[in-house]
Amino acid sequence: MGSTIIRMEDISRHYEMGEELVRALDGIDLCFEKGEYSAIMGPSGSGKSTLMNIMGCLDTPSRGRYELNGQNVEEMDDDELARVRNREIGFVFQTFNLLPRMNCLQNVELPLIYAGIDTRHRKERAIAALERVGLADRMHHKPTELSGGQIQRVAIARALINTPSIILADEPTGNLDTATSNDIMQIFEELWKAGNTIILITHEEDIAQCTRRTIRLRDGRVESDIKRST
Amino acid sequence: MNRELLLQAFNSLRANTLRTILTVMGVAVGVFSIIAVMTALEAIDRSVATGLSSLGANTFELQKYPATFMSGHGRGRFTNRRDITYREGLLFRTLMEGKARNIGLQVATSGAQVAYLESATNPDVTVFGADEHFAAANGFDIAMGRNLTGQDILYSRNVAIIGDEVRERLFSGSTDPVGALIKVRGDVYRVAGVFVRKGAAFGQSQDNLVVIPLPRHLARMSHGKSISITVEAPSRDGYQATIDQALGAMRVARGLTVAEPNDFELRTNESLVASFREFQQTIATGAFIISFMALVTAGVGIMNIMLVSVTERTREIGIRKSVGAPKRSILQQFLLEALALSFAGGLSGVLLGTAAGNVIALVFNLPLLLPWFWIVISLLVSSVIGISFGLYPAFRAAGLNPVDALRSR
Repeated sequence: MGSTIIRMEDISRHYEMGEELVRALDGIDLCFEKGEYSAIMGPSGSGKSTLMNIMGCLDTPSRGRYELNGQNVEEMDDDELARVRNREIGFVFQTFNLLPRMNCLQNVELPLIYAGIDTRHRKERAIAALERVGLADRMHHKPTELSGGQIQRVAIARALINTPSIILADEPTGNLDTATSNDIMQIFEELWKAGNTIILITHEEDIAQCTRRTIRLRDGRVESDIKRST
Repeated sequence: MNRELLLQAFNSLRANTLRTILTVMGVAVGVFSIIAVMTALEAIDRSVATGLSSLGANTFELQKYPATFMSGHGRGRFTNRRDITYREGLLFRTLMEGKARNIGLQVATSGAQVAYLESATNPDVTVFGADEHFAAANGFDIAMGRNLTGQDILYSRNVAIIGDEVRERLFSGSTDPVGALIKVRGDVYRVAGVFVRKGAAFGQSQDNLVVIPLPRHLARMSHGKSISITVEAPSRDGYQATIDQALGAMRVARGLTVAEPNDFELRTNESLVASFREFQQTIATGAFIISFMALVTAGVGIMNIMLVSVTERTREIGIRKSVGAPKRSILQQFLLEALALSFAGGLSGVLLGTAAGNVIALVFNLPLLLPWFWIVISLLVSSVIGISFGLYPAFRAAGLNPVDALRSR
């Protein structure tokens, strides 16, 4: 395997809920190499989502050291974090999170707008990304006119558009039926084979089995970390 | 990038058409009132400038009442004055002998109907009682027939000079009005002449008039009414001197002692303009205050709607942030929306206001115009309102935490 993309040392995230201090993450040490395909598992409240928010630079740790592609993330301000999310991270959410008033093309283009790419290149790249998930013929439809599986494929196209270092998917099949889930997992498999680094969060064992590494969290700590080779 | 923001702003405004229109209306009302009033005032202002120049530059008037336009303060002070009588007018003229180019004595009754055979005018003709100097003092030339003569006045003959508009209404093209018998307020007059058409001033026709000898008017129509005296100075340079002499002569004619103040008013073009300006100022200030309050209210409305919009679109903001929107972009997006709202309001206010102002101008027969200065000011002010009241909601949107924003429904 190649270079390290994510290096986390002693990452903690504490919330104050009234008087009580909630330790959502409590000393996580993790590394992800370029080209890895991993799943993060764990019961509700184990800190999966918090971990993903920190990995995705949506949130910053209360303590610890987080290096993304050699950059020290925990020292960044809001706008630097936004730039990292824009260039380095591709999010896929359980609830899809497309903008309902925009058509698929515009949704996929959105990260490129914030990257300052001009209109013509934006459109070319967005169409290419939609082709990659097999939805080029639906690019002028709005998300409300598509099925759940199609919407998630648009979301994947959006995640891919800026060729991120890492794709973070939070329960990407959580709202989909089994057949559609398999389609989506197929796309992730292809993306991984094309050299992308992918981290899935899931609580479904069979989804986790599609990946090559499973990390189990419990109470904000890493319980197990098993790599498989296929 | 900016084009994108603009598109986004318009799209989200379009998505809430009714709400957008209602918010826009607030600004529109504020801008409308100032633009409508300013357009109308400017139209009237222009016609005052043209109207005054057609009155004769070196002319002034002596009257019982001052040239009040609307400010009716202390009207009673003037009503209690003695009327200026015809006798005083004649005495004044004698005293001013050789000191003025022209002295016209006159009295006017408005709302008269003039009839000839089967045709009649509307009851809106002004009947002047005057003498042979009226035409010259008021800048009228004779188009047909003759002017009034000293003899007409002396013998109080029932002759009349008619304005061109009266001629037009009573006589068909082929009929010669001179010598025709017309009926004015129950009396019969022979048309002696017709004035050359003068056109409109102050938005009013100056040709809808009949002039009859002053003694006859006083006897038949304006029993004991106060007359007014029009004086034309011999030259521009001697204007002020003539005014001084006229004031002195008038005091003598009225029999005032040294201690008594003038019990008559001097009306000059300047005093006319000044009293118009005073009236204009009052209306403009009123319109300004109303507009300002309306705009502040509209600004609060914009702020309110933008706060609602931020709350409703928290998730959208979260999505945008998750794909890498920096604070600045979110801030710009919401500011631009607020600006679009207020600018659209300003623009519609300008359009409606200009239209309404020009309708007023049309009613008064004044030329159409665009109040550029006020249009620019209004658009600027409404933009400033939009940005300043949009600032807080925009900062709130930009400052949202992406994790919390994404979690919101």
